[in-house]
Amino acid sequence: MAPLYALGCEGSANKLGIGVISHDPETNKTKILSNIRHTFVSPPGTGFLPKDTAAHHRAHFVSVAREALRVAGLASPGTSPASATRGARAWAPPHQRRRRRAHPMGRVITGADNPVVLYVSGGNTQVIAYAEQRYRIFGETLDIAVGNCIDRFARTLAIPNDPFPGYNREPVLLDLPYAVKGMDCSFSGILGAADLLAAQMRKQDALLASGGSLKEGEERITPEDLCFTLQETVFAMLVEITERAMAHVGSKQVLVVGGVGCNERLQEMMGLMARDRGGSVYATDERFCIDNGIMIGLAGLLAWETGFRTPFEDSTCTQRFRTDEVHIKWRTD
Amino acid sequence: MAAATETEQFPCVLTVQVPFPTTRLASVALQSLQVDKELSPLVRRTFGISPPASDANTTGDQDKTLHVEYRATTNRMLRVAVNSFMESLNLVIEVMEHLDADVLAAEAHSI
Repeated sequence: MAPLYALGCEGSANKLGIGVISHDPETNKTKILSNIRHTFVSPPGTGFLPKDTAAHHRAHFVSVAREALRVAGLASPGTSPASATRGARAWAPPHQRRRRRAHPMGRVITGADNPVVLYVSGGNTQVIAYAEQRYRIFGETLDIAVGNCIDRFARTLAIPNDPFPGYNREPVLLDLPYAVKGMDCSFSGILGAADLLAAQMRKQDALLASGGSLKEGEERITPEDLCFTLQETVFAMLVEITERAMAHVGSKQVLVVGGVGCNERLQEMMGLMARDRGGSVYATDERFCIDNGIMIGLAGLLAWETGFRTPFEDSTCTQRFRTDEVHIKWRTD
Repeated sequence: MAAATETEQFPCVLTVQVPFPTTRLASVALQSLQVDKELSPLVRRTFGISPPASDANTTGDQDKTLHVEYRATTNRMLRVAVNSFMESLNLVIEVMEHLDADVLAAEAHSI
């Protein structure tokens, strides 16, 4: 049997990603043929609004899709029977495809066998483990996602949110709340506290600019310290809830996925924890962590192979599609 | 009291007719645009495909014009809904122009 091809389209946030992936059901070999992405970058200090983001995706959809086909060498979709069959949905406009929780893509890229998955992005913060054909959510954020917390604080400081600002001196760890409840966590209060510190920093800036001086013993706050503190605090929380889930499930592997997952400091902290438990961390880089088309393509392809079909009239989007709703029919373990 | 008729509730009406070269393309556009629900309760819309009114008798039974009728409670809601429809329609036509199977096949041959 020839390998099957899928064209995946992702556009649920500010990235438009389209990619072509193939999967051979007999050998279970997966091959990424192309992975093209175009990002809508709003000016520092602003977020991406749905209206502008939609306009961006519409404007670039055709060129990104053509590039994905060109790089994949599939200029003519008729060359593979599978791609023609998939075509009916593959060629549909982006608002037509169904957003699928596709981050288990990480297993294919990293070769991790049965890890606890930390899914951290701008829209989600979940600790997940697979059991009996579902990815079960063990813990999650009770309010905003960790990536949203980071992005919004970047907006407070009016700095670009990619990448996280680095530091070139020993930073100071400021006081921020720490909010872990069992395997759940919370970020909105931390963001509020960080915003207050940023406001205090601006007051200091204004005071010093007008020739004044700080109060006796008052620490001068810098953007670097604020970023460092926020990052260390929220990542420590993520490591803690992940470790608790690993202990619960009895797994020594941890797979970090989602946009925040390509942060090397998070990977480093997670690695220290995993090593202490005699295990290891699996992570990927921005090609696969950040929203992309191939994760959608792979999830669609694997589901397709098990006979899953989405009638055209049902191929809508929803904002309320949770990780544990998907029946993982293609895994038998 | 009897419920107000749809015409009374949704007095602002606009009908858009989009002629396509083939029935297949008209049908693709219909299916693509119809799939997303109209979100506002202040707007109603209906889709259909029919021959162009002007030459309905001359072109025979070829149904290749997309008809979309928008009804809204106010002109403002009508404008917002139709604008959004136009943006989607624009993308659908662009996809047809550059990503349809026959377009890609023709390009592959010409390389």
